[in-house]
Amino acid sequence: MATVPVRLRPGRLLVWLVVAFDLLVLLWLVLSSFKTAREIFASPFGLPADWRLDNWARAWEVSEFGPAILRTVAVVAATALGTVLIAAPAAYALSRFTTRTSGPLTSLFAMGLGVPIQAIMLPLFVAMSQLGLVNSLGGLIIVYVATSIPFAVFFLTAFFRSLPGDLEEAAAIDGAGPLRTFWQIMLPLARSGLVTLVILNVIGHWSEGLLSLIFLQDPTQQTLPLALLNFMTRVQYSGADWGGLFAAIAIVILPLLLVYIWLGRRIIEGMTLGSGK
Amino acid sequence: MATATVEAPAAVRPAAETGSPLARARQRLYLPFVLPALAVYLLVFIVPSLFTVVLSFAEWAGAGPIEWVGFDNYRRLWYDDVFHSSLLNTLLILIGVGFLTFLFSFGLTMVLREMAGRKFVRAVIFFPNAVSALAISILWGFLFQADGLANALLRLAGVDTVPRWLADDNLFYVICMGLVWVNTGFYTTILMAAVDRIPAYLYEAADLEGASPWQKFRNVTLPLMWDAVAVSATLWAISAIKIFEFIYVFAGAAGSVPTTKAWTLSLYAYAEAFQPTGEARYGASAAATMVTLVLIVVLTLLTRRVTRRESLEY
Repeated sequence: MATVPVRLRPGRLLVWLVVAFDLLVLLWLVLSSFKTAREIFASPFGLPADWRLDNWARAWEVSEFGPAILRTVAVVAATALGTVLIAAPAAYALSRFTTRTSGPLTSLFAMGLGVPIQAIMLPLFVAMSQLGLVNSLGGLIIVYVATSIPFAVFFLTAFFRSLPGDLEEAAAIDGAGPLRTFWQIMLPLARSGLVTLVILNVIGHWSEGLLSLIFLQDPTQQTLPLALLNFMTRVQYSGADWGGLFAAIAIVILPLLLVYIWLGRRIIEGMTLGSGK
Repeated sequence: MATATVEAPAAVRPAAETGSPLARARQRLYLPFVLPALAVYLLVFIVPSLFTVVLSFAEWAGAGPIEWVGFDNYRRLWYDDVFHSSLLNTLLILIGVGFLTFLFSFGLTMVLREMAGRKFVRAVIFFPNAVSALAISILWGFLFQADGLANALLRLAGVDTVPRWLADDNLFYVICMGLVWVNTGFYTTILMAAVDRIPAYLYEAADLEGASPWQKFRNVTLPLMWDAVAVSATLWAISAIKIFEFIYVFAGAAGSVPTTKAWTLSLYAYAEAFQPTGEARYGASAAATMVTLVLIVVLTLLTRRVTRRESLEY
């Protein structure tokens, strides 16, 4: 179009500056993770004089990332699975069955989106410690699943509502019971919504801070975010191993970045859902 | 937009359903399907929230007897300087960071509307939201180290007396800038999606009438994206109050919390209850949380009221 107003040109320059800034921060992170502390400050964007792979090895070992990542993977996987198992049937029933309570219940679940963690953390912590579920991954998983429910139900009800009803009726006419219809027809149809939900859930819990700080106070049980925080503290005490810190940050971010590059559009759309119509 | 946001017809269920065998079979399944989620939700959200309300009127350290103190916790908050600054900081994030975030988001959305490479730009500016808030925050703090990148750039620009960014007095503003940076990417994406749905012929008509870019924004874009703006405002009010990790990371040492000058209500509530050095003051923490909840409710109602317009069909 020839109608692009000339006035917006400086605007474009600004947009590209913002983009450049974001990319530079990433580049700086990766480059710095291979440098000595002195080099990081002396030449922020120069290539490292020699590529210090031992930053990564040190970060990996000192922070005990290995076991922490294993724990995190277990927690994140169990959380995602549990969330889907509990939320999907509820969302399906709330969005497709005609009952008097489905409307109000859907709103009740949505209300949970506005409740901050602080409002539930104290009673939850006391209850969980009395059940012996503090400092255990199982306890953290329960808390994660529970706190995921409002968004999951909200997200999936919208999704189920958008599916066509014909197939359900056809299945019913062919003699499939509602349970089988849900399991064999609707769940596969909703696969893309479920996958999006799982991705968002995993990203959200990969380095979740507040709940893991509260429910995993035992250092031998720490997950990735806690390992990173502890490593950061250690770096600051023990003579500024900045290269190691950058490597540690890179280790935490890289898996997410790869997922983002792979599934970016889906992640963006899932995270900004609810802002649409 | 997301597949899930495709507009669904209001009546997806056939009217004749009630009373049919299918409907009855479904009725029987309704409770088993909804109950697990509802039970977990009630047990973990509703009951604890109510208990927090109760706690805010009591003195308790997590174990032992609960001592009723009436409004003492609230009275203490009223005189607590740290609480004042935490509340002030929360409001500063809500209004100050919110204003800048939306200003930039509107600006970016307008520029991006007719720009090549917009999908790429969107992917890049959104990325801080899709990776770990914790790691992004550490990275952000590192930019402002005494000989970090920010100061290196300033020196390059000829500024000799560089500010001490991470000093107690300045830390909160560094955090605020980081929040603007991260959230601009998020809200630009939301607004962009809304603008994308506006049909091009409206702009073509405006062009024919000789409308200026501002007029096009004021009379075409803004009214038609208003729903998204309203939702974004509510979303911001809720999420701004919840922000925790981005600030917590700026603590100096293990298990401690950042300088009280950078606290928000969420930091205050956490520190009062879980700070390893001090004694656990659950009552004060609960009272601060009540203030937060009231703030959320008031703000949600307020933004709804302010942004309420008749939504336009197009």
